Amino acid sequence: MSFLVLDSIKKSFGQTQVVKDFNMSIEKGEFVSFLGPSGCGKTTVLRMIAGFESPSDGAISINGKNQNTLKTNQRNIGMVFQAYALFPNMNVFDNVAFGLKVAGKSKTEIETRVKEMLKLISLDHLADRYPYQMSGGQQQRVALARALAPKPQVLLLDEPLSALDAKIRVSLREEIREIQRQLGITTVFVTHDQEEALSISDRVVVMNAGRADQIGTPSEIYNRPTTRFVASFVGTLNIIEATVIDPAANTVKVGENTIRLRESIGALKGGDKLSIALRPEAGSLLENAKGDTSLTGQVISSHFLGSVIRTKLEVGGNQISFDMFNSPDAVLPQSGETLTLRFNAHDFLIIRD
Amino acid sequence: MKAHKIFAWLAIAIGAIYFFVPLIGTFEFSLRMRRGVYSFDAYQSVFTDAQFRATFGFSMLMAMVTIVVGMLLIVPTAYWVRLRLPQMRPVVEFITLLPLVIPAIVIVFGYLRLYNSSSWIPFTGSTQGTNILLTFSYVTLALPYMYRSVDTAMRTIDVRTLTEAAEILGAKWPTIMFRCIFPNVMSGVLSGAFITFAIVMGEFTMAALLNRPAFGPYLQLVGANKAYEPSALAVIAFAITWLSMGLIQLVSRFSKLTPSRP
Amino acid sequence: MTTASTSFIDRRTVIDWLGIVPFMVFALAFLIVPTLYLIVGAFFNPAGEFTFQNIVDLFSPSILGAYWISIRVSVASALGGALIGFFLAWAVVLGGVPSWIRSSLLTFSGVASNFAGVPLAFAFLATLGRTGLVTVLMRDWLGFNLYSTGFNLLSFFGLTITYMFFQIPLMVLILTPALDGLKKEWREASEILGASSWQYWRMVVLPILWPSLMGATLLLFANAFGAIATAFALTGASLNIVPILLYAQIRGDVLHNPNLGYALALGMIVITGISNILYIWLRTRAERWQK
Repeated sequence: MSFLVLDSIKKSFGQTQVVKDFNMSIEKGEFVSFLGPSGCGKTTVLRMIAGFESPSDGAISINGKNQNTLKTNQRNIGMVFQAYALFPNMNVFDNVAFGLKVAGKSKTEIETRVKEMLKLISLDHLADRYPYQMSGGQQQRVALARALAPKPQVLLLDEPLSALDAKIRVSLREEIREIQRQLGITTVFVTHDQEEALSISDRVVVMNAGRADQIGTPSEIYNRPTTRFVASFVGTLNIIEATVIDPAANTVKVGENTIRLRESIGALKGGDKLSIALRPEAGSLLENAKGDTSLTGQVISSHFLGSVIRTKLEVGGNQISFDMFNSPDAVLPQSGETLTLRFNAHDFLIIRD
Repeated sequence: MKAHKIFAWLAIAIGAIYFFVPLIGTFEFSLRMRRGVYSFDAYQSVFTDAQFRATFGFSMLMAMVTIVVGMLLIVPTAYWVRLRLPQMRPVVEFITLLPLVIPAIVIVFGYLRLYNSSSWIPFTGSTQGTNILLTFSYVTLALPYMYRSVDTAMRTIDVRTLTEAAEILGAKWPTIMFRCIFPNVMSGVLSGAFITFAIVMGEFTMAALLNRPAFGPYLQLVGANKAYEPSALAVIAFAITWLSMGLIQLVSRFSKLTPSRP
Repeated sequence: MTTASTSFIDRRTVIDWLGIVPFMVFALAFLIVPTLYLIVGAFFNPAGEFTFQNIVDLFSPSILGAYWISIRVSVASALGGALIGFFLAWAVVLGGVPSWIRSSLLTFSGVASNFAGVPLAFAFLATLGRTGLVTVLMRDWLGFNLYSTGFNLLSFFGLTITYMFFQIPLMVLILTPALDGLKKEWREASEILGASSWQYWRMVVLPILWPSLMGATLLLFANAFGAIATAFALTGASLNIVPILLYAQIRGDVLHNPNLGYALALGMIVITGISNILYIWLRTRAERWQK
């Protein structure tokens, strides 16, 4: 039973259409990320759920109830902002208590609930501190507690980690996910950082120019991108121009190599150009590697990146980036060397634009 | 949001009325000199008044001198406390705020007691001496505004880095001062100069108590004796203030300054 | 410029301190010493003996009355200016009016806050005086005789509304940056937590703004308290505010005791000084929250 439903949502500002026909159903307790570059409309959709903007068309419903007529302060939604937005005149306790105070809860109720929330984010010892006395990471955790205190039905997070240091970003996103799991609250998380989205979400929505290009689990998004945009936005991707040999047999030619694809080539003829994609970690140099296909080419360059060795191969006019794990006795491929890459045919994805 | 907007426009309407009505009223009154008909007679009377020309000229001169003396004092000082003596900066800033706290009448009272003809620096013993004292009093009044304009400009262009660059290239301090610093803080200097101009032209207390023939006391005299000329003078004074502020805006818009970010 | 010396006073330090001398001499000669002279003089009598008598004499009915009127005019114009100035600043920052209105208002406020002194008195005389434009229009268009209600521009009330002409813009100039500092996210956060507009204003905005509001009002008060030119030109010497009393004392020793004049000045400095100290303290508090 879908809990949060976005039905044919459209939004225009003046002449510009920022969100074009967005559809999504989110289950109760699900953690969904909206992933995309700046300007793709992900924050706009979030703000429409919150009620700060109204959709030009379409409906949003939570738990079966249409939200279009409800004002923001009637929707019982929690939100965490990129800029923390803690009230500077109140200490941590009062900030977290705000939603409860506004709802008219009794003093003892407020105290119990706030203490509970502070314990949840492990900041109960900082109840008297003011925002200007705390670090960014601490402020954001308080913002999370503040959003969750009034027991909202949905939690919205608008790029909550973008303003924080890299290390804090990683630990805080895991903490957020952990808390979300504990409370079982339906959550929408907006970010432009794919590692964030992939690591903590149940499902990811990749957005591009106002539309949802693909909705799926992190693994699906990464391993089976359905559009060129998703394939290139999420992770590094080699896009290879191949020539069709035989559409019936699904064979294509890349340089001197013949590859038999698992996917059906479809309505193309022999000699047509086709874009296929390959992840850098897909292949292996080992002689006895499992795989029914291979690509042979010349090494252009090879770089030692620490845990990974990244080699660039020239194959049939294409530059293919290929990663392999480092090991103590690994030898860097030399420029000009001929290498053969082994992998499975189903590692190739056909990019249909 | 609708109610909000109505109140906002109401507030603006009230503000507009409060500001424009007196100005319109003044202008209208100044046109009433000739019975029954609107004319510029009051303005004519003012401009042909020898006293007007004399006091206006005197105040103009005083304003120029104040600006020059003030800038010669303030620009090097502002520069110095930024570069060589940063620990004195809070002290200097506090001093520049004192004229806003101590009323002008108190300051000039102090001058009269301290520097009168029977004391050991008899400024008021002679006309020239009194003029000098008046200049310094104007510099004191304008100090907060002049210092703040110049200081802000210096902060914007990062004088420290500019000086170091000039020094490495071999410049001596007069060169640095006049060829590197002054030109770049010019917009701050000009802004300060225009505010000073407006202040000096309209100043009454100092000039009246030091008995100098400045524009301010002249205005008060006309107000006590004539009927229509005062409002013509008020229009002129407002125009001067407006002009000065307008020139400040112009100067800031054409300033070549952009904040230097590391 | 080599400073290889290890002596305690090295050449560069001496030059450093010399550079500040002109300014210090100026400040001492034309600001600090004259003021101190008056302050110290307040505690002496004409015979040269130390005494508190002058301070005591400040509390005599006529002088106390002058202070009281000054305080009342300053408070009234400060509160009036603060109230109207606040609503104006709110209107252009948060009220959703076109941005050209905001820049016009700020420019105009810059001009109007400097348009004090004698010309201001003339302007209001020309508008609300017995034959002023508004008085005449009210009589001709509304049949309403302003002066028959007992209104007189040359009075406490008249001086207050005249002062407000520069108090209101001053408030606008001080308050606009403070209102700008109210982050949009605070409003949104409070809304999504369930608060109404009124609750947001009461629980978030006013507590954040009140140091700036109080501070600005204090500044307006001090500003009005020290002003003389407008009052002099408007009411002559009939409205007995402290600056006018001091003026008369300087001119002609009306108090028959020069040291009492010093005490009068001391009283003024104390009042404006306290207001400004409070203003600075409040501003520091306000800035701390705006991080």
